[in-house]
Amino acid sequence: MAISPSDSADLTASLLLSYARDHVVHLLVIAVLAAYPGIYAIAVNSPLSAQAVAVLPRVETMVAVLYFGLFAISFDFVSGYTGYLSFGHTMFYGAGAYLVVLTANGKIPFLSASTPFVLLLVLCGLLAVILALLVGVVSFRLSGVYFAMITLGFSQVLYVFVRDWNYLGSNPRDGVAVTGRTAGFEIGIPGVDSASLAIGQLTGDTAELLGVVTLTTAEVSYYMVGLVVLICYFAMQRVIHSPFGRTLIAIRENEERARAIGYNTFYYKLGAFAISAFFAGTAGGLFAGYRRSVTPESGFYFLTTGDALLASIIGGFGTLAGPLYGHLFDESVREFLSKAGSGGGLLPYLRSNLGQGTLETVIYNGMTIGESIDVFLNGRAALYVGIVFVLFVLYVPNGLLGTVRGRLNGTVAKGFPMWFRQRLPDRDSDQSR
Amino acid sequence: MMMLRTRGLTKQFGGLTAVDGVDIDLAADECCSLIGPNGAGKTTFFDLLTGKLTPTAGTVELWGEDDWIDITHTPPHRTAEVGLHRSYQITNLFNKNTVRENVRIAAQAAGDDAMNCWHNTGAFEEYITEAEAILDRVGLAEDADESAGSLSHGAKRQLEIAVALAGDPDVLLLDEPNAGVSSESVEDIVALIEDVATDHAVLLVEHNMDIVMTVSDRIVVLNQGAVIADDEPAAVRSDETVQQAYLGGYERGDVDDDRTGETAGGRA
Repeated sequence: MAISPSDSADLTASLLLSYARDHVVHLLVIAVLAAYPGIYAIAVNSPLSAQAVAVLPRVETMVAVLYFGLFAISFDFVSGYTGYLSFGHTMFYGAGAYLVVLTANGKIPFLSASTPFVLLLVLCGLLAVILALLVGVVSFRLSGVYFAMITLGFSQVLYVFVRDWNYLGSNPRDGVAVTGRTAGFEIGIPGVDSASLAIGQLTGDTAELLGVVTLTTAEVSYYMVGLVVLICYFAMQRVIHSPFGRTLIAIRENEERARAIGYNTFYYKLGAFAISAFFAGTAGGLFAGYRRSVTPESGFYFLTTGDALLASIIGGFGTLAGPLYGHLFDESVREFLSKAGSGGGLLPYLRSNLGQGTLETVIYNGMTIGESIDVFLNGRAALYVGIVFVLFVLYVPNGLLGTVRGRLNGTVAKGFPMWFRQRLPDRDSDQSR
Repeated sequence: MMMLRTRGLTKQFGGLTAVDGVDIDLAADECCSLIGPNGAGKTTFFDLLTGKLTPTAGTVELWGEDDWIDITHTPPHRTAEVGLHRSYQITNLFNKNTVRENVRIAAQAAGDDAMNCWHNTGAFEEYITEAEAILDRVGLAEDADESAGSLSHGAKRQLEIAVALAGDPDVLLLDEPNAGVSSESVEDIVALIEDVATDHAVLLVEHNMDIVMTVSDRIVVLNQGAVIADDEPAAVRSDETVQQAYLGGYERGDVDDDRTGETAGGRA
């Protein structure tokens, strides 16, 4: 083998190569997610249209997967890495969501209704940080199930509070909607119109790509929300890989020893709680920006945290990216099993594709196939998701990503290229032949 | 030079006095053993030194640059910072982390970068280097990439000491480093204790009298929380109170001479 004339160029090249190798999987995932609206559009217009509609989640659903996935990731950031289950995490999500809606309605002093959305997202995060510091100072005196319970308590107090505070809207129990701002919430560079696109189902922008492809409002929302989620994810990933993040893992593994070797674990836990709250608040802001309304249930009710917990367990606790896949899985199953009119799924697919004769065939005691489909599928999504959840806890305790990482002996970004190379034909031995 | 001293250190749990007016001095170059029957208050005494428990009365002081620092009411993370590290009787590690990470995280605790939440851990090479050096010293270099939980019991005991060594403490409290170690591996641990005693002040709790007599410069005997003897190994062995309370007529025999030879060989 010839020696390269320039060692430094070689070194740079190998550094770049190893950097690229570390991120190949990240880029692949981003590419697949970025291509999804296109794949969906092609699949739905293909001969297999009916099957595609039944199986693939709609782009609108994927927007929700992204912003709620970010919330689930932030939940995993504190719960999966310090071991402290933040059961009241929804209060940060709700705080962000309410801040966006109330600002748009001109209910927040000193903030104009036309505050740029990107700035609002940062403010959502900061509000959540303040809330997290207040709650955390009290809650981190406790550990284990008591910590989970006290954070849950705080979030329920806020839930009751936003339900009954008339200042928020005319009927706070039913939530508040954006009424003071007709323009969509724009993501992009604040003040530069050409570098911003509005999100939302009705208020969002459409965009033309290279004069060939026109993106629908849902697709624009998908990309813009996705951009924010991506930035937030990489920021959290950096923190996890830093000395601070390693200390969090040490606390999860053995808090007593972490304290004994010189860490004031209280401040590390509080810091992790605040960082995680920041991104939960941002996720809440995205949610409100896209949906343009928020209810006490979607913002502050403990079952919202429950959904994040579900996503984390299905995706893999303490894997950071896992909860996003977990929530995608959760939403896909739900949509697949849901009623007609909410994105297609098994039920409408069977109804329209099984012949009338088949549907009317009696299978047992006068019950036809059509009726049995109704009994077993109509509105039963939650039941099946529950069963899937139980099966996951029992048989895939490490979750989707956790299990894959276990198989690859490390993160997918590091393990997959190695796994791939081991399966390539050995180049050296080929040459020697 | 003295490194650590306690004066009238007392801990009461309700009506029970677990540690009773203990005065101990530990010199910088000394390996001092703390012995006593089960329930004599040895581990409680360690917990008082590190700040895990707060004493009912008395003081704990550590020698700083040029003066005594009172660490009586200092929490564990602060006592670790000022240079008092401990190992545990019951193995107490970061089980899912690698062996290297166990030591690296302890080394990082002694530096100023632990709050850094933006740079990759790999950028702080000094902690990785320190961890590798310590693993080399305790003989775990080859297991650096294993997870701590998958080590054999003997290796876990070595790692237990390695974690305590990180961050270069002035005083090392070793709580039964031999607990549960099979007789073949005892020599490794003894060699390790003797090795770390060369550059740290060591306070050792140990039940195996062969080891205590071999490695100690001085022995302190606790019984029901109080010091009943504090002297050189030979003097303690022949002390009648100690014999009655604890030793039960132990005589240093040929075994010991063998061991001295072996450990010297093992370290070469």
